[in-house]
Amino acid sequence: MKPQDAARPGQDESYRQAVSEYGAALERLAHAYEADPDRRRDLLQEIHLALWRSFEKFDGRCSLRTWIYRVAHNVATSHVIRQSRWKRNTAAYLTLEEAEAQASRENVEVSADRRQALARLLALIHRLDLVDRQVILAYLEDLDAESIGEITGLSAANVWTRVHRIKNLLVRQFHTGVGDAN
Amino acid sequence: MRTDYLPYDLKTLWKEMEMSPPVFSPDQLRKEADKLRAGLSRRSIIGGGAAWFVIAAFVVFFFIFSNALERIGSALTVLGAGYMLVQLRLRPARVLPDVGEAGGVQFYRGELERQRDFHRGSWFWSRLLILLPGPIIFMMGFVQVFPDAAPFMWLDLAALLVLAVLAVPLNLRLARRYQRRIDLLDASQKGS
Repeated sequence: MKPQDAARPGQDESYRQAVSEYGAALERLAHAYEADPDRRRDLLQEIHLALWRSFEKFDGRCSLRTWIYRVAHNVATSHVIRQSRWKRNTAAYLTLEEAEAQASRENVEVSADRRQALARLLALIHRLDLVDRQVILAYLEDLDAESIGEITGLSAANVWTRVHRIKNLLVRQFHTGVGDAN
Repeated sequence: MRTDYLPYDLKTLWKEMEMSPPVFSPDQLRKEADKLRAGLSRRSIIGGGAAWFVIAAFVVFFFIFSNALERIGSALTVLGAGYMLVQLRLRPARVLPDVGEAGGVQFYRGELERQRDFHRGSWFWSRLLILLPGPIIFMMGFVQVFPDAAPFMWLDLAALLVLAVLAVPLNLRLARRYQRRIDLLDASQKGS
């Protein structure tokens, strides 16, 4: 067995713990980055592999949750960039300004059921640029601005600005006219 | 208007997504890691093997052919393939680095820079400028020695040059696209 194949003490255990706590969140994250089911399965495996390997280096300087989300988002980011090399149009993700302008042009009907609402939410997320995607996904997973800042490297103020704008965008997408949303 | 699925309910909606998380055991992942490493080594071996094959062939050509252009072309091709071998050694196929240590924005920017530089940096120009002249000069020499093969060789040469010329704007356009994303990313962080 090569030295790199040997697990660091606790590596397997840390991985198991991470998956038991965040397995579903990781799968949701994969949904947000990859629409194609086969490629999503590959991405998810890539995330799990990177996560397991990353525990060789995890030294507890940040929380386990921050570490797991960083690994997952970064692997997914790399996956999206790699895919976009072969698909010209998918590289053209929307900035928030572009997404807002597009939302105001579109006449979106109110979702009839939760499945449609979820599909619409995913469609919007798929169109967002990767940083905004990281922010909204962490928000949807119930992380606060400080934690999102740790994962993304953005300041808490920047996180809040982005969350606020994305939420407004969602309000428009769902035709609500409702103001603040928590 | 239904209000069940308004943004204040989005977190719930999001978490209700039907999930069937696949289970990967550490042993499975260890095997996958081995497969990944084996795949990367295989790619390096194939790339290295191809370069060694080119070197061997053009070393033979260097000694077989007496025409000056053919010999210069052979020597340059050997140098080009040797350069590729060195690059393979210095820049082995990459496994994602530091995925847990870098913040999302930093990592994203790094990936965009890497892609941009692949298409416009020294790596791109060196591939073009070091690999191309050898075969071109060799073909010109070949035509001198075997004039009957000229139409075929000129066609090959033209195709090679067209591809090389097209590669420049295409790659630069891709590099500009990545640079635009970097600029947007930087702009979106100002004032944070």
